[in-house]
Amino acid sequence: MSQKKIRQQFADTMLEVGQSDPDLVVLIGDISHFILQPFAKICPGRFYNIGICEPTIVGMAAGLARVGFYPVVHTIAPFIIERSFEQIKLDFCYQNLPGNLITVGSAFDYSNLGCTHHCYDDFALLKSLPNTQIIYPASSAEFDILFRQTYRNESLTLFRIPENQHEYPIDPSAIQFGKAIKIEEGKDITIISTGPQLGNAVKARGRLLIDGWDTELIYVHTVHPLDMPLIRQSAEKTRKVLVVEEHNRFGGMGHDVLQGIYDVRGLQFASLAIDSFVHEYGSYEELCSGLGLSVDGIMRAVKSNFKK
Amino acid sequence: MDRISKEIRENILRIAHHSGHGHIPTCFSIIEMLRAVYESMRYNPKQPDYDERDIFILSKGHAALGLYCTLARYGYFPISDVFSLGVFGSNFGCHADRFKIPGIELSTGSLGHGIGVAAGMALGFKLSGNSRKVFVLIGDGEANEGSVWETAMVTANLHLDNLTILFDNNRSQSRCLPVTNPEEKFTSFGLKAMTVDGHDVSAIKEVVLCPVEGTPRAIVAQTTKGMGCPTLVRDVFAWHRRSPNSDELKILLGELNETSV
Repeated sequence: MSQKKIRQQFADTMLEVGQSDPDLVVLIGDISHFILQPFAKICPGRFYNIGICEPTIVGMAAGLARVGFYPVVHTIAPFIIERSFEQIKLDFCYQNLPGNLITVGSAFDYSNLGCTHHCYDDFALLKSLPNTQIIYPASSAEFDILFRQTYRNESLTLFRIPENQHEYPIDPSAIQFGKAIKIEEGKDITIISTGPQLGNAVKARGRLLIDGWDTELIYVHTVHPLDMPLIRQSAEKTRKVLVVEEHNRFGGMGHDVLQGIYDVRGLQFASLAIDSFVHEYGSYEELCSGLGLSVDGIMRAVKSNFKK
Repeated sequence: MDRISKEIRENILRIAHHSGHGHIPTCFSIIEMLRAVYESMRYNPKQPDYDERDIFILSKGHAALGLYCTLARYGYFPISDVFSLGVFGSNFGCHADRFKIPGIELSTGSLGHGIGVAAGMALGFKLSGNSRKVFVLIGDGEANEGSVWETAMVTANLHLDNLTILFDNNRSQSRCLPVTNPEEKFTSFGLKAMTVDGHDVSAIKEVVLCPVEGTPRAIVAQTTKGMGCPTLVRDVFAWHRRSPNSDELKILLGELNETSV
């Protein structure tokens, strides 16, 4: 099945929302210029390809928010989140201003471009600031639904757009900001995944079942705030929790999950995450395999970390 | 130097002495610029958030005490409030917090931020067809930051003619990275740049009020750090972040008093 790319959905959503909301302004750092031209044409004066100067883009977006607009800043993840972190911290968060950061190049999506174009600390950095939200939509529908639900609220929201989708069909009515989704019921172990890793988790569940593990699958599209009630309920049932995420282990979703369930009696916990720079080149799938963020990796993690 | 400029400086000295805080020389270099802006722009101290006001942002946030004393002079709050500078529980910090002080449009401190936010506000006013203007004051030391020049390029490219950059050229970076010939630099970045005597309120007002079509402006104000007190001017680095003791206060007030009008 060929799905619409999430980045294309982003452009389509801007066009649709922009037509009905004159307060939506899009600022980009010379990325997605072409696909945003319909928005630029239909919403004149509200599209700016500012240049390759991300701190200025973020600062200007905060200025637009300060005078009542709802800005969208869009470029490659590390150049917004890492290079412009002080602008995010001081120009948006310290001033308590709302806005939207929409990144492409999730984790190591730019797999053969090397570490300069990777970003796997964005959850940790954004979570360290007040009044922030993190959404990791791994399907076009999720982006569209969650953007509309949140872009005009009073927080700074990061949308981490991955190149790959999980391709698991989710009922659109179940996609609610701040709510994790229980994909499958199970009783032996809980696997919590975010982003495209849901696809691997679903496949691993089938194989684990053959080996006698009845896995409960939870999918997270809203990384912050995290839906701890659902996660805790599952952890109390299975007492075994594996988190799978394309993020640094430090400050990732795994840390938040563990903090919320550490006192579950008899808890066994492990996480599949990134521990350092990803130095390898190759395809996204090859890098995932090398890091254990794969069906085989999940199988190995379950068998080596958990006792039935 | 007229009576008002002296009075603002006297308050800065007294509050710096009382509180033990304050970047006095940098405050003294911007007083006339602040006055020229507040005597030119639309504002209402009794209703600081009124919709049609113009915006002033002090990007070199460490001169906050200078701004506080100026805002007090123009009616935002009594000067007596500012004597709590830096005290636990006070609204007046050594960098200003926009949620605590009326008239502060942006909380600043880290250099190179105010200009980007100012550019965004200016763009926003243009988008809404509003005639509101934005003034942002940056220092020459602050112009060591790359973000200043990134934003300068962008403002020219977007023709933000409702934005005025006031450049406090007090040459504070003489010992590390001097920003030479700022007028030429801003011009080459596409702005309409001009140089004025930064301690002449009417000269600054004249250029602030003069409309420019299609281009943001950079007003390079030639200033002296510590202007009004020869002791501060002479030993500007030692006084960068010092507050005067009682004897020093007496000397500085005496010097200020003797400064020619």
